[in-house]
Amino acid sequence: MAKISFHHGDGSTDVLEVEPGTSVMRAAVTNGVSGIVGECGGQAMCATCHVYVRQEYLDALPPVGDDEDEMLDCTVDERTDRSRLGCQVKVGDGLEAIEVDVPESQV
Amino acid sequence: MSIAAEARPVPTADWVTIEDLYRNPFPIYQKMRAEAPVHWVPAVNRYMVTSFEACHIIEQDQEIYSANETGSLMKRAMGHSMLRKDDPEHDVERKSYGGVLRPRAIKETWNAIFQENSDKYLAQLKAAGPGADFIWEYAAPYAAENLRRIIGFENATQEDLQRWSQTMIDGTGNYADDPEVWAKAEKSSAEVDAAIDEMLPRLRQHPNATLLSGLADMKIPLESIRANLKMTIGGGLNEPRDVLGVAVWALLSNPDQLAQVLAQPARFTDVFDEAIRWVAPIGMYPRQVTRDTVLEGMALPEGARLGVVLGAANRDPKQFEDPETFNINREKKPHLAFGGGIHYCAGAWVAKASVAAIALPQVFDQLPNLRLDPEHPAVDAGWVFRGMVKFPVLWDQK
Ligand code: HEM
Ligand code: FES
Repeated sequence: MAKISFHHGDGSTDVLEVEPGTSVMRAAVTNGVSGIVGECGGQAMCATCHVYVRQEYLDALPPVGDDEDEMLDCTVDERTDRSRLGCQVKVGDGLEAIEVDVPESQV
Repeated sequence: MSIAAEARPVPTADWVTIEDLYRNPFPIYQKMRAEAPVHWVPAVNRYMVTSFEACHIIEQDQEIYSANETGSLMKRAMGHSMLRKDDPEHDVERKSYGGVLRPRAIKETWNAIFQENSDKYLAQLKAAGPGADFIWEYAAPYAAENLRRIIGFENATQEDLQRWSQTMIDGTGNYADDPEVWAKAEKSSAEVDAAIDEMLPRLRQHPNATLLSGLADMKIPLESIRANLKMTIGGGLNEPRDVLGVAVWALLSNPDQLAQVLAQPARFTDVFDEAIRWVAPIGMYPRQVTRDTVLEGMALPEGARLGVVLGAANRDPKQFEDPETFNINREKKPHLAFGGGIHYCAGAWVAKASVAAIALPQVFDQLPNLRLDPEHPAVDAGWVFRGMVKFPVLWDQK
């Protein structure tokens, strides 16, 4: 199992243990983590699964893809160099744990 | 206990009629939602799903809720498009659209064309003068010409696109099996096939940024290209037209909100979002249940044909406070107007760019004191698709 921590603006944190291969978006939506919408079901089309990945995990991630890059320019909360689409980041395979900050708004 | 024993039986709504739905479905949805999230509706010959929660569950689960409906009239009218397929078949065809409808292409290619088209049809509306119909002089030709350019039909006019769209959509809704409706839909379908056949070799020689050009070199069967483009003609024209009409109508009917937006044009994005929440341009779409299941506590049998009523989900009081009111200042919450899951609207960014970023600001900028015509009231209608069918407007001529 891999571990995903979602840090919220109010200081609370949701911690999930999920199967390797699960995306950050899918984990959040399946477990009812607030603040992650994932309208398009993971096609990098809706930009409602935006997360800020904590610095120490950034280097372990695959590079931002073309579709992801384009969609990150369409997020409601500001894009930073920690921004990723939750649907494009999968845990497991060298990424056994990840921590993300959930943006204020997705829509 | 068996699944069915735990679940509530689905009530029948035999009091619902198509005529009432067409005129104004919202009071009907209010009554249905308050009673149960799902009803069997004899007049529609489907289970109608009206709660936000249940519609959302359906969208996210293609295994239990298949888009590949048996006896689909859409398949008959337009062929078997990606919209009526599940993954993995759907995914191959959805990917065949590549980046044409995505933000980068919109920025690089389509925005300039949308602007050109808005200029052109605003001039047409102005020339028709105050009292002209906002839909038929501006919104419809604007949406149709945008779509014509995106698809790449150099060999057709925006009027052709409007006729194709309407007649094929009428086929999709031809539950009465009217032969005249089928004849018109078939004629349009044949015209689209001929237009595609003519364009594909041309675009192979001279590729460009259009959908047809991207498809010309794809290894997907011609039959699928045809069906997908017909679905895109039916799904990419009336909806931007209708959101444009409803958004302008809602603002003209709510002067406080209009004043707010005019002072802060960035808020046209909120106007767009609230307009499609308030009146979802696609009010209902079909799904079919693949096995006995329970949906939000309601038992559904294998094979059940569902109507996913976005128009009702978007006004569910459990999701939205004071849902019947158009209010651009409401708390931001996800709505379902663009659908969700794997069939999430492929044209969502095109609609936002063409309507919220270009058309709405320009319309209010160039038509001073734009207002309703008290002598000739606007008329909104429809339920499977809903928008303004008549919308005369007045403004001050400079
Ligand atoms: C405000 C305007 C629009 C609204 C409200 C809207 C709504 C929708 C909805 C609800 C669906 C999903 C239907 C279902 O799951 O059965 C959909 C799918 C689709 N829409 Fe839109 N649409 C709009 C504009 C457009 C435009 C402008 C285009 C093309 C340029 C377009 C192309 C498509 C396509 C190709 C699909 C099928 C996607 C798939 O099956 O994967 N739409 N749209
Ligand atoms: S779920 Fe839509 S972009 Fe990630």
